[in-house]
Amino acid sequence: MRGRDFSGKISDSLYLPVTLIAAIAMVIPVYILFKVSVSAPGEILTAHPSFLIKDFTLEHWVKVLKSGNLKAPFVKSFTVATLTTVAAVLIASPAAYVIARMPRKIKYPLVLSLFLTRMFPEVGIALPISVQFIKMNLIDTYTGLVLAHLILNLPFAAWILVGTFETIPKDLEEAAMVDGAGKIESLIKVITPLALPGIAVAAIFVWLNSWNEFTYALYLTVSQRTLPLQTYYYVVRGGWFDAATYATILTIPVMVVTFFLQRYMKGGYLSGAVKG
Amino acid sequence: MTWLKKYRLEAVMLAPLLLYILGFTVYPILQTIAMSFLDRFTGAITLANYREIIGKVEFKGALFNTVAFALISLTLEMAAAIVIALILKRRFFGRGFLRALLMVPMGVPTLVSGVAMTYIFSINGYLNELLYRLNIIKLPVDWASGGLRTLLMVSLADMWKVTPMVILILLAGLESIQNEVYEAAGIDGATAWQTFRYVTLPLLKPYITMAIILRAIDAFRVFELVLVLAGRATPVLSTFAYDEYNNYGNAYTSAAASAILLVIIMIFIYGYLKVGGSEEVSG
Repeated sequence: MRGRDFSGKISDSLYLPVTLIAAIAMVIPVYILFKVSVSAPGEILTAHPSFLIKDFTLEHWVKVLKSGNLKAPFVKSFTVATLTTVAAVLIASPAAYVIARMPRKIKYPLVLSLFLTRMFPEVGIALPISVQFIKMNLIDTYTGLVLAHLILNLPFAAWILVGTFETIPKDLEEAAMVDGAGKIESLIKVITPLALPGIAVAAIFVWLNSWNEFTYALYLTVSQRTLPLQTYYYVVRGGWFDAATYATILTIPVMVVTFFLQRYMKGGYLSGAVKG
Repeated sequence: MTWLKKYRLEAVMLAPLLLYILGFTVYPILQTIAMSFLDRFTGAITLANYREIIGKVEFKGALFNTVAFALISLTLEMAAAIVIALILKRRFFGRGFLRALLMVPMGVPTLVSGVAMTYIFSINGYLNELLYRLNIIKLPVDWASGGLRTLLMVSLADMWKVTPMVILILLAGLESIQNEVYEAAGIDGATAWQTFRYVTLPLLKPYITMAIILRAIDAFRVFELVLVLAGRATPVLSTFAYDEYNNYGNAYTSAAASAILLVIIMIFIYGYLKVGGSEEVSG
């Protein structure tokens, strides 16, 4: 039987080459991005660019670091991401705890709604917000962008954290309350420490989501660009080397964190959750 | 209201999140829908915004491009992800390492993947150079010149970015299939193809359906990838809506385009709920 199984033979002999080619294809764009950022212009801006780095140079990096155009977008992206993370954790954690303790009948539709809010087209939400923020003078401000990034990240953080709080047994807080602790005290002293790893993971993902968020930033910015907008600015202007360098800077934290948090990126966290 | 008294703390803990979602997601969406029916100057209820965009060549192009992009990218992504997920289910030397490499695009922001792709798909880019060296083409191809060629470029870029995610969803599905099923198929003398066609595929179907719907929703909303790679020459619904607002200063036609996009997305969300995204979400 096995001898006549051509499909089996084909898959037995081809699976390794196919995986190898796929893996190479997945790495190459990242390599090329980096290569452009460290290549002499003559090597890239030619009819026949070379695949290997022949003429290594740091001139684009030095130029970007020295130009003074990096600091402001970097600080804005960094600050907005950090403030968004703090606000998201403070608002989403208590809510997620309450949702996790609800009866299944109410919990399920709530969790599903949280999930569905992420599916609405961003251009449809960003438009009235942009119109409103112009009236309120929130364009180009940190506050405005943090408010917008919370739209994406509150449901996302709450959704992750519901899963975290569900794993903490209810008996623990009941035991604490029997021992005379109040509801709030048992929440802070018993539940929070146990939920801390989950909260940390949620916080990191929120930070990254905000760090590389593009659409809302585009709608809510006129001149104070974030790092993704700065990258896009050079793409539009045709500044290949600046764009490659900024894009690499933008990618580094995302890449590092994704590598270390890979094991959290499965099942429920997927499906547009980690949009990057 | 004794109920409220009893659950006062819970209500206080839950309220900020719910109010935020109401104020910053539900309300803006309703505003967009309302704006799409309002006259730009008089504020009267009208269908003029819809009439205006439907009359535009760019809008027809955007609608066509969005649907075509969704079809092309989904086909490519699903096909590639099924093959890779099946392979990753095997146990072989170097599997963990290759799997890690295959997941690299997940660590790259969508915008950056667009930037990297511009170097690959430009006229003097790396894809043309590769095809040239392989003697497949003599003259460079202009991938960004519009039409199906550009849609294929954007689809390939999208495929690069999201195939790893689809692989993970399908791998979760494959892991849910009991080994006994395969053993039974083996004893019955099923070939690899028969096992795939009559055992794996039917059992994987709910995961495939879920992945298709979730991916379709993302594909219809595609924004920055198109903006970076194709610019205004090849609009999709999102970039068209952005263009109306940003470059023509018309929030009302932009709202109309967004509302049309919203309707399409709602259809898929309905499909998602019908198929029962239940376990995926709560599990």
